[in-house]
Amino acid sequence: MTELVGQAGLAGLAGLPAASGLPAPSPLTVALLRPLRADHCLVSSAEIERLSAELGALVAHRPGGPFRLTDYLVRTTLWPSASPGPSSPFAWSAGTARRGIGLAAVRSLVAGTTQSPVDGVGLAVSRAISDERGGRGPISSMGQWLAGLTAAGRAAVQADAVTWATRLWSSLDWKAFDSPPVIGRDHWWDSPHSSLLAIRSRAEVRGSSTDGRGNPVSVHLVVLGGPRRAAVRSELSLVALAEALRTGDPQPPGRIVGWWPDSGHFVSLEVDQVTLSLGVATVARTVALLGASERGSGAAA
Amino acid sequence: MVPVTLQPRRAPQRDGLVEVDPGPPGPPGPGNTGTAQGDVLARLRDRSAQRPRFDPGLAGGLRAWLEDGAGALVARRGDDALPLHLGPRLLLGPADQNSPSRQTLALAPKRENYPSQVVTSYLVHALFRQLVTTGSVGDPLTDALDALGLHPNRAGLIRHVGRLDRRARTELRAELTDQIGHLRELTPHFAPGWLPRTDDRLAIPLAGGRVVLCGVFDLLVGAPAPGQASLCALQLTSGGPWAFARTALHYLALLETLRHGNPPFRLGLLDSAVGRYVIEDVQQEHLRAMASHLVTRLALLAGADD
Repeated sequence: MTELVGQAGLAGLAGLPAASGLPAPSPLTVALLRPLRADHCLVSSAEIERLSAELGALVAHRPGGPFRLTDYLVRTTLWPSASPGPSSPFAWSAGTARRGIGLAAVRSLVAGTTQSPVDGVGLAVSRAISDERGGRGPISSMGQWLAGLTAAGRAAVQADAVTWATRLWSSLDWKAFDSPPVIGRDHWWDSPHSSLLAIRSRAEVRGSSTDGRGNPVSVHLVVLGGPRRAAVRSELSLVALAEALRTGDPQPPGRIVGWWPDSGHFVSLEVDQVTLSLGVATVARTVALLGASERGSGAAA
Repeated sequence: MVPVTLQPRRAPQRDGLVEVDPGPPGPPGPGNTGTAQGDVLARLRDRSAQRPRFDPGLAGGLRAWLEDGAGALVARRGDDALPLHLGPRLLLGPADQNSPSRQTLALAPKRENYPSQVVTSYLVHALFRQLVTTGSVGDPLTDALDALGLHPNRAGLIRHVGRLDRRARTELRAELTDQIGHLRELTPHFAPGWLPRTDDRLAIPLAGGRVVLCGVFDLLVGAPAPGQASLCALQLTSGGPWAFARTALHYLALLETLRHGNPPFRLGLLDSAVGRYVIEDVQQEHLRAMASHLVTRLALLAGADD
């Protein structure tokens, strides 16, 4: 596993040339899009199939399933002290809505539909509300929630989403992407060997770069919250694993970059055998702990 | 730019700062022209094309200095201690707040009884965000409670206000009306292209994340640019100590330097209680002085943690 730790503005990273007359790309852009090392080896399809079977076997006959693993579940299961407090049932709030609205805003900015995060967020909120009121599109619980807010409540939601979107929008040089990036589409891998296992790959921005031989690979930016933590490599390896296991994507995953907007730090993992092994180990530990807690609660009952 | 503080003639003079009467507030006009908010905007934009260049090694040097201070604190607390999150109140307040007990460094208990100034501060900040985001505020108390009600961690504050008797609520509404009036006069309308965003949080880890310096910009405009100071920061105080608020701005400028390699090039502080403001350029001396203060305070905390 090749790992790069960096920070915006402090260290220039070679790899992406600045266009003549233009400022150099931001360090985060370089960390995400620069080509992989020349000696980087993609994981073979036979090895991917072996990992898939290994994961299926992990959950067979395990109590506590089905297991739908997310980065959040991994973090709170393996490192419970990193959790801010007791979990409560999900409810929409300014905090839980800002990512979805912010992503819609950045998507419209990248597409050129809007010119600023303020405009993008305003468009995303008004669309969600008008779709809800007009009965257009699938039922959206966030749209229902937004439609029921007062003007001041909506302003508070917009303010949070504008800040979230502006940080992402201004951290990357969007012209450095060869093809339009995919903004905020989560992927799920459903195990073909067991209906009890699925793994989510959450990433805010997905683009492409090249491996050591010039072949295209996908790269993924994950926006992180909370403190820097040892768990982050395991969280990011889960994204790498899900991306490697997914079939049908013409570009194999090459790199996962985790970025903390609060501090400007980022950590970059290249997707190789070591990273995927860490991902499998993370799944194994999480499933074992979830199964053990299930057994414990069953015994207590 | 020499720091200058502006406030209405009738406002009390405090802290020995230079006061200039910007003239009686006129009727609200279109945009930012001819008003105090126009003056705030003009002072933020003044010579903005000539942004200062900061030493590219400055951020690294400041971080190394702070790492030394944090390392001493971590050494006293032990490697297994929970991460210590430090904000401006603990780092910049009077040193005697750092009483030599472990309680100082313990997490603050959840509050249910809030001093009136704290209540006002939270509510005014919520209204400030609304003003920046939408340009308008309705009934101040209702709007502020609606906004804070969307943040689960403000539930205690909402309950506290809900328990106020009629007279206290009337006084609170009057106070908010007064303060939002000042903010309407002072707060520029930033075009979306300025990228205005509120409550931009900073969390700078030191000593491998075992000490975290925290802060929140009330309002940032501009986009971070590698190698250039390109941001303006506007902070809000609603009647708290003016000198503390100005020092806290320098603290935030230091954190931004550690985050993106450069500080904001200009800082503004709005006092919604009396309607005054100050705009100043950030200079390397501010950052060095603040880093020196923090290292000293970290050493004090290390002693307090015995």
